[in-house]
Amino acid sequence: MSGFSGCPGSRMVEFKKEDLPAGEGAKVPSQLRQWPVQLHLVSPAAPYFQGADVLLTADCVPFAMGSFHNDFLKGKALAIACPKLDAGQEAYVEKIRVLCEESKINTLTVMIMQVPCCRGLLATAVQAMQGSERKVPLRYVVVSLQGEILQEEWVEA
Amino acid sequence: MEKHMKTPIKEVIGRFPQVGAILEDFGIGCVPCSVGTCLFSDILEIHNLAPGDEEVLMARIAGVVAPGRTVRHPEMRNSRPSRSAGIAYSPPMKRLVDEHALIKRFIALVPEIAGRLDLESEGDRELISRGVDFIRGYADRYHHAKEEDILFACFDPELDILKAMHEDHRRGRARVKGILDALERRDGEGVSENLHGYAGILTEHIKKEDEILYPWMDRNLSTRKVGEIFSAFREVDERFREAREGYEAFVEKLEEQFFARSAEVSR
Repeated sequence: MSGFSGCPGSRMVEFKKEDLPAGEGAKVPSQLRQWPVQLHLVSPAAPYFQGADVLLTADCVPFAMGSFHNDFLKGKALAIACPKLDAGQEAYVEKIRVLCEESKINTLTVMIMQVPCCRGLLATAVQAMQGSERKVPLRYVVVSLQGEILQEEWVEA
Repeated sequence: MEKHMKTPIKEVIGRFPQVGAILEDFGIGCVPCSVGTCLFSDILEIHNLAPGDEEVLMARIAGVVAPGRTVRHPEMRNSRPSRSAGIAYSPPMKRLVDEHALIKRFIALVPEIAGRLDLESEGDRELISRGVDFIRGYADRYHHAKEEDILFACFDPELDILKAMHEDHRRGRARVKGILDALERRDGEGVSENLHGYAGILTEHIKKEDEILYPWMDRNLSTRKVGEIFSAFREVDERFREAREGYEAFVEKLEEQFFARSAEVSR
């Protein structure tokens, strides 16, 4: 049994790896199509959210997952947030609700890390969806500390 | 074995009837399928068995079609998740599965309705007319139209699995016509036979869609497409909202009427 008894989200882990090859062509082009990206900073009325497939991702996900840009960000509008550290998360619920009702987004994909505190971001999205008169398909993806997909499902909200 | 992989499954079963029984063991119902033109290789793809199950299935079938010969099995697909105990549908597929639930409730009433039918009674004739209206209005115009006009339109119409579903719809519609023709003749047996025929087709059809077709479609639809289908379904749902509520009330009333009567009789 591990001697660590604190928050799994803060537990120190080191992944000992050889330097991996960067892959063919070395540079992976960015799939980001907007700025800003932080959920407090984005405006739900922004044109890139209108009718979009929106990706709401926990801050740590893109660092853990090497193929994030091509596998998940491509073709989507982005918002990022940290359910553990961000202040004023009530505003997040309202913002997501507005995205559904007024920006008429097509789908919402929530990407979170496997650590328990990250579930808060999914809970925020579900709460927003439940308060929205216009429902959209909501899906979540759980990513391991080493960037593997652990779970990927649609949510009934 | 490689040759059989590219052969329509009905042909394989025709030559090796044991293959049908082996497929049944794995919950793959190709034997009663009304079309059966799916290639053997497509059936493996569509049914998405766990890799271990797929290997066992292939070994058993190889034992039938090529006994005593060393068979090189086709490479197993290993990039997909194995099938979990429950099926997690995308939201639009979930809508269709929920609609199936009402159709199944109606189908469950068929033996009760057909068993006590008296077409000399105006009330019973009215009941059959309203039942047909439910089938045509709810099952066909509302539910099957969502499937045919929106969902199936996202896939290649030449896919054998879609041809099989269209064929089921067509056979269902033919049974409904049979009910109406028999009703006009006041032929109680004809009505009963076609009602039972319809119930049989739809029971099998719904099972295929819920357990095979929709999960397969979910695996092949992009997130974008799921959102677009959901949005198109929402428009249909809004247009049919009042009619849908009426049909739900109709089935509920029938259940009260027939199942309460059954309970009284058995007492």
